[in-house]
Amino acid sequence: MDEKIKTLAEPFRIKMVEPIRMTTRAYREEALLQAGYNPFLLVSDDVFIDLLTDSGTGAMSQSQWAGMMMGDESYAGARSWIKLEQVVRELTGMPHVLPTHQGRAAERILYGLLGGTDRIFLSNTHFDTTRANIEFTGATALDLMPEEALDPETWMPFKGNIDLDKLETQLAHYGSERVAAVILTVTNNSSGGQPVSMANARAVRALCDRYGVMMVIDGCRIAENAYFIRMREDGFQDKSYHDIAREMLELGDAFIMSAKKDGMVNMGGLLCMKDKELSVKCINQLIISEGFATYGGLSGRDMEAMAIGLQEVFDPDYLHYRIRSTAYLGEKLREKGIPVIWPIGGHAVYIDAKKLFPAIPVDQYPGQVLVCELYKIGGIRCVEVGSMMFGKYDEQGKLIPASQELVRLAIPRRVYTQSHIDFVLEVFDFILELRDRKSGYRITYEPAFLRHFTARLEPHPGGG
Amino acid sequence: MATKITRRSWAEPYKMKMVELLKTTSRAQRIKAIREAGFNTFLLRSEDVYIDLLTDSGTNSMSDRQWSAFMLGDEAYAGSQSYYKLEDAIHKYYGYKYVIPTHQGRGAENILSQIMIKKGQYVPGNMYFTTTRVHQELAGGIFVDVIIEEAHDPNNLHPFKGNVDLQKLENLVKIHGAEKIAYLTLASNVNMAGGQPFSMENLKAVRDFTKKHGIPIIHDMTRVAENAYFIQQREPGYQEKSIREIVREICDHTDGATMSAKKDALVNIGGFMATNDPQVFEEARNLVVVYEGLHTYGGLAGRDMEAMAVGIKESLDDRHQHARVGQVLYLGEKMQEYGIPIVKPVGGHGIFVDARAFLPQLSQDQFPAQTLAAEIYMDSGVRTMERGIVSAGRNAKGENYYPKLELVRFTIPRRVYTQAHMDVVAESAALVYERRKKIRGLRMVYEPKYLRFFQARFEQL
Repeated sequence: MDEKIKTLAEPFRIKMVEPIRMTTRAYREEALLQAGYNPFLLVSDDVFIDLLTDSGTGAMSQSQWAGMMMGDESYAGARSWIKLEQVVRELTGMPHVLPTHQGRAAERILYGLLGGTDRIFLSNTHFDTTRANIEFTGATALDLMPEEALDPETWMPFKGNIDLDKLETQLAHYGSERVAAVILTVTNNSSGGQPVSMANARAVRALCDRYGVMMVIDGCRIAENAYFIRMREDGFQDKSYHDIAREMLELGDAFIMSAKKDGMVNMGGLLCMKDKELSVKCINQLIISEGFATYGGLSGRDMEAMAIGLQEVFDPDYLHYRIRSTAYLGEKLREKGIPVIWPIGGHAVYIDAKKLFPAIPVDQYPGQVLVCELYKIGGIRCVEVGSMMFGKYDEQGKLIPASQELVRLAIPRRVYTQSHIDFVLEVFDFILELRDRKSGYRITYEPAFLRHFTARLEPHPGGG
Repeated sequence: MATKITRRSWAEPYKMKMVELLKTTSRAQRIKAIREAGFNTFLLRSEDVYIDLLTDSGTNSMSDRQWSAFMLGDEAYAGSQSYYKLEDAIHKYYGYKYVIPTHQGRGAENILSQIMIKKGQYVPGNMYFTTTRVHQELAGGIFVDVIIEEAHDPNNLHPFKGNVDLQKLENLVKIHGAEKIAYLTLASNVNMAGGQPFSMENLKAVRDFTKKHGIPIIHDMTRVAENAYFIQQREPGYQEKSIREIVREICDHTDGATMSAKKDALVNIGGFMATNDPQVFEEARNLVVVYEGLHTYGGLAGRDMEAMAVGIKESLDDRHQHARVGQVLYLGEKMQEYGIPIVKPVGGHGIFVDARAFLPQLSQDQFPAQTLAAEIYMDSGVRTMERGIVSAGRNAKGENYYPKLELVRFTIPRRVYTQAHMDVVAESAALVYERRKKIRGLRMVYEPKYLRFFQARFEQL
């Protein structure tokens, strides 16, 4: 009989390391000041543990690096392209595959064609570049989450699901003349990396069929989503993760992916669809802005690495390790009394900064306070996913806050070890001592779109 | 009696460290392949191609130093060390103040055009290039060709066919006024004219004129080192200067740049936009996140920025450019020995065969260059690119442009093929030339709206 060993160890060992630097508190305070209190503006070398994003920050396997050496850099019809196309067709069931340099390029091509000033996009939640790309065309992006899902503490098996009643209401109201597409974001990043069930996806398909509207699946984290379906949804226990993913993706009319997440690569994106006419229009746009149809702004080696990554990501040992190691951070934080979105998502832990710092007014960005303190205390970089990222202004220039003030600690794939995570946990002991903070930050510079990337802030003169 | 040595050969300043095996095909296989590809070499599979001279864009071989820098890529989303290395290299060698990386050239062209062009403004330049013009037009600009007339004549031996015709430029300003001109786009080593350089003297004169009228110069510096090589070889007063010095001098006379690093900078992917104007930089920083990625990676992996920084440095080495252009000149000499009509003088990145002279029995509507590219492929598996009526596309009214130059470009990737490969290429061109009178033309059966040459399909007449 096999011993039931509880400790989970990684199903891989380290083949190459990159040194990281520990700095002093004084150094970090200065660095943060220079960066306008925006972690996006810190230099990577000044960061000890970088949990800013899981996008393109993962470690490739030795097989992927071997694939890199086999890259065919031909401009047209590269072997590496043919390999990638084959893998993606098998994963999505879609005949038309377009490579792009990353996700937002795919978004811009598709939503640029579908959008326009009187068009509506409906989603569980639009993430930052998705929303920006849609609004750039003049269209409106509506998020349709069920009320219960907005409660951070309720355990729900599929907290990323779209609210079907709200969806039907909008579809009936606007109709196919105005609704450009329904976008199902899988897993749902903004609501805490939460999974979407197969039943929910099937229901969306049925509604889209009834109202004659296009269904798009944004599958950046499709493998992590497949894990949750197998664990939590009846009828999938014996299916492979790849097959579960394929079953969901086949429901869509189109598929968009930033391969920098579950594609396990540092650069790459995909746009796939069933409709030939649409694909022709997309390819024309692709060539203008990205590159020829058989590379789309990617090197041959990156396409090799993507093809291999899209297969590796469905390995059961890998997915188990991935989901459980993210959960480890989340569960331990929760034990300490840090308010987190529950259940823990697949790629990140989301902290409710409003609850953590109840005395900081929302227009002083409590999330940004947590982000800055984590950096100052432990050299840890993470990102605010609250009013800094999603806030807008009304006509009087007053902040319209986001629905939640969250901070995301995103875990790059196959990069950090348990000791790194234990380090992060220890830093939170010091964060707990700051719960009575009364003031935060104010913005001194911001651009019109995607402000969180380049905005600058300073401590609010309120003090305390 | 033994042959007397009359010349001293030189060989490449590098040896092979890694090879990629090539497949050979039969003529029957190639005929099938080109038919399936609609007689468009763009639509062939790479594995069916023997010597791929479609383009020098991103097809270069990196050095061991670039591969080792590659392994040091910092893949952080924000503030990557690799970005700062790239920025340093651009500051050091090109001199521009502000740098925005992009995934490749057209990414930079897109952003720059949107920022600097107001609808209805004119954008003069030394001959059109495909993606440059498309992005200018999408931003509402009107491209005007101000290259010297000699550039349109494949047989004219002017040493600097990339020069701007100051009279044409002056006329444009006189007719429309300087405020109606967004900027002058100046390409080093003009691609569509046959890889032809402009002279430093011309650049200085153009700079004087544009400065007087407040017109910025944007440098398309994709092949700047090759242009610098020709200045060093041909322009009086520059023989003792290094490529590095000449490149810097060129850049210093301009206000900003776009670059596809996939050519001179010796990488497989990458580009950037550069400017000395802080306002333009500010707008670019905000626009790049929409299209490309955060301004410290612009849609590039950290490792690719590392490789670019090293590649920029390597491209400015005199021995490297001597070997690079030397290989192109070798092929050109061989072709001329066989009597094949080519654009003269030979340019920096490829041999441009004059398809109009090669196949005089065909009218331009029968796509002589497209036809010739297909014939060369069928003969030897060598892939080339059409640079004639198909590439020129249609104007805003939907009418075909009829360019004076109907060319087939044999583009040489950097540090990839050997002298033996060049011999094979020249011989194939010679064999096709011998039976040229029997060659029939093509008709276009599928035409996409933009940049049609990439995807158009043809049938034999």
